[in-house]
Amino acid sequence: MAKAPKLDSQPQVVTANDLKSGDVVYLTKVASWSRRIADASVVANVEAGAALLAIAEAQAKMNIVVAPYLIPVDASSMPPKPIQYREVIRADGPTTETRPAA
Amino acid sequence: MYQYDQIDQTLVDERVAQFRDQVARRLSGEISEDEFKPLRLQNGLYLQLHAYMLRIAIPYGTLSARQLRGLAQIGCKYDRGWGHFTTRQNLQYNWIRLEDTADALADLAKIQMHAIQTSGNCIRNTTTDQFAGAAYDEIEDPRVWCEIIRQWSTFHPEFSFLPRKFKIAVTGSPNDRAAVRVHDIGLRMHKNATGETGFEVIVGGGLGRTPFIGKTIRDFLPRQDLLSYLEAILRVYNQFGRRDNIYKARIKILVHEIGIDTMREKVEEEFTATKDGALKLPQEAIDQIAAQFAPPAFEKLGGVAAEYANAFRTDFEFGLWARRNTFKHKQPGYSIVTISLKKEGEAPGDAKAEQMTAVADLAERYSFGEIRVTHEQNLVLPHVKQADLPALFRALKAYDLATPNVGLASDIIACPGLDYCALANARSIPVAQQIALRFKNWERAHDIGELKIKISGCINACGHHHVGHIGILGVDKAGEEFYQITLGGSADDQAAIGDLIGPSLNVRDTVEAIDTLVEAYLRLRKSSDERFLDTYRRVGLAPFKEAVYAVA
Amino acid sequence: MPLLKTGPLLKDGRLVGEDAFQPVADDAPLPASGAVLISYARWQAEKDQLGGRNSPLGISLPNTVDVLGFGPEAERFDLIVLNFPKFSDGRAYSQARLLRERFGYAGELRATGHVLQDQLWHMQRSGFDAFEIPREDAAEAFATAMQSFSHVYQPAADGRVSALKQRLAASRKKDAAE
Repeated sequence: MAKAPKLDSQPQVVTANDLKSGDVVYLTKVASWSRRIADASVVANVEAGAALLAIAEAQAKMNIVVAPYLIPVDASSMPPKPIQYREVIRADGPTTETRPAA
Repeated sequence: MYQYDQIDQTLVDERVAQFRDQVARRLSGEISEDEFKPLRLQNGLYLQLHAYMLRIAIPYGTLSARQLRGLAQIGCKYDRGWGHFTTRQNLQYNWIRLEDTADALADLAKIQMHAIQTSGNCIRNTTTDQFAGAAYDEIEDPRVWCEIIRQWSTFHPEFSFLPRKFKIAVTGSPNDRAAVRVHDIGLRMHKNATGETGFEVIVGGGLGRTPFIGKTIRDFLPRQDLLSYLEAILRVYNQFGRRDNIYKARIKILVHEIGIDTMREKVEEEFTATKDGALKLPQEAIDQIAAQFAPPAFEKLGGVAAEYANAFRTDFEFGLWARRNTFKHKQPGYSIVTISLKKEGEAPGDAKAEQMTAVADLAERYSFGEIRVTHEQNLVLPHVKQADLPALFRALKAYDLATPNVGLASDIIACPGLDYCALANARSIPVAQQIALRFKNWERAHDIGELKIKISGCINACGHHHVGHIGILGVDKAGEEFYQITLGGSADDQAAIGDLIGPSLNVRDTVEAIDTLVEAYLRLRKSSDERFLDTYRRVGLAPFKEAVYAVA
Repeated sequence: MPLLKTGPLLKDGRLVGEDAFQPVADDAPLPASGAVLISYARWQAEKDQLGGRNSPLGISLPNTVDVLGFGPEAERFDLIVLNFPKFSDGRAYSQARLLRERFGYAGELRATGHVLQDQLWHMQRSGFDAFEIPREDAAEAFATAMQSFSHVYQPAADGRVSALKQRLAASRKKDAAE
């Protein structure tokens, strides 16, 4: 697995997988989880990122999601776009055209 | 084919009940993810990029029509109507919900299938020749031994927490189609001077980060001693295999570090102490298992069937397909048919539920209800009457299953890669798709002839890139997908690890480079009989390297 | 290797209130009498003095010890403790089977360390008869684990008959009846 970059003060969101379904989810502003990155709460500095991750980890302990982590995003447009191609694939689904849509 | 008796069925049912309880404990929060993860992995359940993935064991790649039909139904009920056949002769569902897993496993148990030991540091599903029980060149049906190993290794109390995963492959033919030299243990059946059948035992082969060709630890092992000898190897490995570094934990590193001679001494010492114990196989027990693999009721056929000869003459497409996708059967008048899951532009190894159901129906009509899965991610109908080949071809064509490319450049092995896999560094499937489309022209593809291209999305080498005539390995280079190309690998009886050709390339240049390599081969080959691999072995890396990097 | 306990002791499926064996640190003097548990290192160093001791002796073996070397001394002990530093480190399963099956050790064989419910089946089959399980409901966990499977596919230290041999016996019986 490609190493997650060390995040500094850049736009970032928290992602995880839903425990029951395994679906990719993003932490929202109201501390719930959404399958759409458009709903993600975007923060832009290390402290806010850590605070967001703390909320997510508490929810992982409550068995709502699995293994939350922070990812950098380009927030200059909507929806925010992950920087790493791994996260782009997680957000958009497999890139192989022959597969059915979700 | 092997049928579960009441003992097998009870054990699989009990396993489902056990896992149902474990999932319930996880969903209720009684156990944490850390505690649950090893339990779900022992039942083949991974958490991948987009969803849970469930890996189903297909013991030694053998399926009945009923089982394949069941897999299609389970794929529709719990997945998105697909299944993915893997390089380990297994099947993966890519879109499984944790909540549904126990029900899916219960449905599998009804067709005598399971996901036991398809992950984790234990003895995995034993693999073998996809033509077992059918091939003309076979000494003995290796599936008998695979089944004996399956039973011995299932829920093994001593070997469920090994330093690392453990894979065993068996070939019953001198022409190795099971890649036995690149497994933790490879077993090659052969006859000794007195005509007795036994095993050459090969240990410490493997791909991954540090590829090794296995070494022979014993030239000839009598059949009745198979399990004692396997247990001796596993016991030495369990105690002395490295556990300090996950990348050095496979048995290949132990064999490499202590040397094959020391390894042999330790194993033989253990074997000497146990060989006449409870694991010794009585002939009657071997016979009982072997009876379950008795050949089907073949008809006695002579000469070439008229339908077959006619179709060859009159139907060009059929001839192309029959030449490429059939293999010589031991029974006169029968052929082995490989069904390509590699239509150019499709994801290698993927099958739609309708396709699986169609193959199940055709197996019932034409192949005694038997299907095999190949480690090259294709399906096989092992026992088809030659007279039926034209009808089978037409039926397969209707389901897009008659691509005449077995062993050709577009018959690419590819792991799921970063489109699905949480471990991957780069995508494999789109690269395979783009390369395959370059070889869609049948004239060119057949002119090039046998060419095995294998693609892995990370160093774990699920796509067997090290042993591809052309191997492609995805890497992450400063946040971009890049690919390393190796040449000259081979997984057959003259197994070899490929040589790195040069600096890695991006996706576009990689696809271009494969084309360039093939063009270079066509220029360099002595005749159209000389395969890509043979030319490479004759001329070496330099002219190929020059061709790729002079252009790039 | 610390000789500290990691949880309540379960023996033959029942919780044992007090362990008869008193752990003694390597640098502490041994009590004149009573059952004691010592380290492998101490045994190596003081074998001659300890050999003549009249009260029960237990030893804790690191999972790196080659049992083929230690095995002949096993019968001197009333208790052998084998270690699971992590549940995923399975070396002690082989140690256990060798002690039971190769060297005929018949005393208490105890699992300590990272001992989880879902391993008890494997441990019991490998020859363990005592477990230190860090949970309150150890006895229930053990009972559940022992009910996991009705049959076994391979011979091990528990003497159960493998499926292969069961089928063979059934067919011989059938043949004899016919």
